[in-house]
Amino acid sequence: MNPITLIARKEAGELLMSGRGLAWLLALSVIMSVLSLLLVSNTELSLLDNAQVVYMVMGTVTALGALLAVVLGSDAVAGERERGSLMPLLLAPVTPSQIVFGKMGGQVAGWVVMYLLSLPYVWAVGSSGQNLTQAVAYLALFGTPVVLGFGFLGIALSARLRSVRSALLTSLITLMLLASPLLLGPSLRQSAIGKLFDAVNPFSAAVNSFDSVVIDSQPLAMQINRLAISLVWLVLTAVFAIRSVRKMEI
Amino acid sequence: MKKIVVSLLLSLSLLGLGNAWAVDSLNISLAPEQANPPSPQMGDWLKFHSVIENSGSQAAHGVVAWISLVQVDPGHEQPVDLEDWSAHKAVTQAILQPGQQVKVEWPMRLIQAGAYRVVISAVDRETGHVMTSPFVDFQVRRKPVVDSGRILPVALGVPMLVLGMMAWRRYRRRTGV
Repeated sequence: MNPITLIARKEAGELLMSGRGLAWLLALSVIMSVLSLLLVSNTELSLLDNAQVVYMVMGTVTALGALLAVVLGSDAVAGERERGSLMPLLLAPVTPSQIVFGKMGGQVAGWVVMYLLSLPYVWAVGSSGQNLTQAVAYLALFGTPVVLGFGFLGIALSARLRSVRSALLTSLITLMLLASPLLLGPSLRQSAIGKLFDAVNPFSAAVNSFDSVVIDSQPLAMQINRLAISLVWLVLTAVFAIRSVRKMEI
Repeated sequence: MKKIVVSLLLSLSLLGLGNAWAVDSLNISLAPEQANPPSPQMGDWLKFHSVIENSGSQAAHGVVAWISLVQVDPGHEQPVDLEDWSAHKAVTQAILQPGQQVKVEWPMRLIQAGAYRVVISAVDRETGHVMTSPFVDFQVRRKPVVDSGRILPVALGVPMLVLGMMAWRRYRRRTGV
């Protein structure tokens, strides 16, 4: 079997078959359950409010997916180093590039699991409202590059910082900074700094697209710039991860 | 004294004539489209048609017409912010010659249940007050947007599914399957 596939399967297996990975999934699903129950507890929601609920669930799924990705990414190399399994991995007949692509495969598997886990929630809160199909499609379209980008950033930091704790802390600080649009409404981001931040932040691109599509029913043509920002983020973090793993020292 | 009173009355009547011209300068009609659903509910689209006609003898400059929506449910009377209801909230016309008409279509997405009254208002540069169309009333039926029957099974079911996977894994480890 291809070494990349082997490593990716091992990474995915650790998420789906290990007690630790399943406990993470359980925690994420409990968060989604509590959030859904809180968001829909108001039975007097108007049609627009329902779209707002779907938008908030989409943003939360993206943030939780990114959180899972940075945890997996931070553990990817530094975790192997701390468990003493990095040396055997490097001595195996695999190149550093194959290792990093295999780890990236594990990230993809993690996001696929998170996405599938979130679909029942999106369906439950949005089934009788507006733009549910678009919500499911755009969560995949924008959530994938944003979440995987955070995972690749975690892998890069994990290779450079050599300890899980340092990599995780740095990744989480970055995630909290970039995910701040979830907490700050659009009106709070109208200053010059806020607009500049929105213009380059992939997380802002994703949540602004969710808002634009689900609440305002705007077409894909209006999301092209935001999609480009998300894809640039994905490519930059992937390059950063590949270079970091290739350059890492034992 | 009589001269003063007559002059005053004459001035007032002239002012009245001026106002009468202003009142009659723009005629605004408003009617719902025939294809509108007879009993609309939240999420439906309604269209209204209006004709703004200069029925006066002078050209009207800088005409602005806009749509307004008021909720009239007893105890909930309030103007409605059209931000989410319609992207087409106003039209402008630089000049409207005597007898000239402008036909306007006003689409609207129904966001909230309730009883509503829609009206088109217009002003021009010369007239000192707002001219309005007749009202059109409509009722929006509530559409259930939150199905708690779906949310509770999902909110409980997904964590239970993951717990089931954990139990299955533990069982496999114990039995060595």
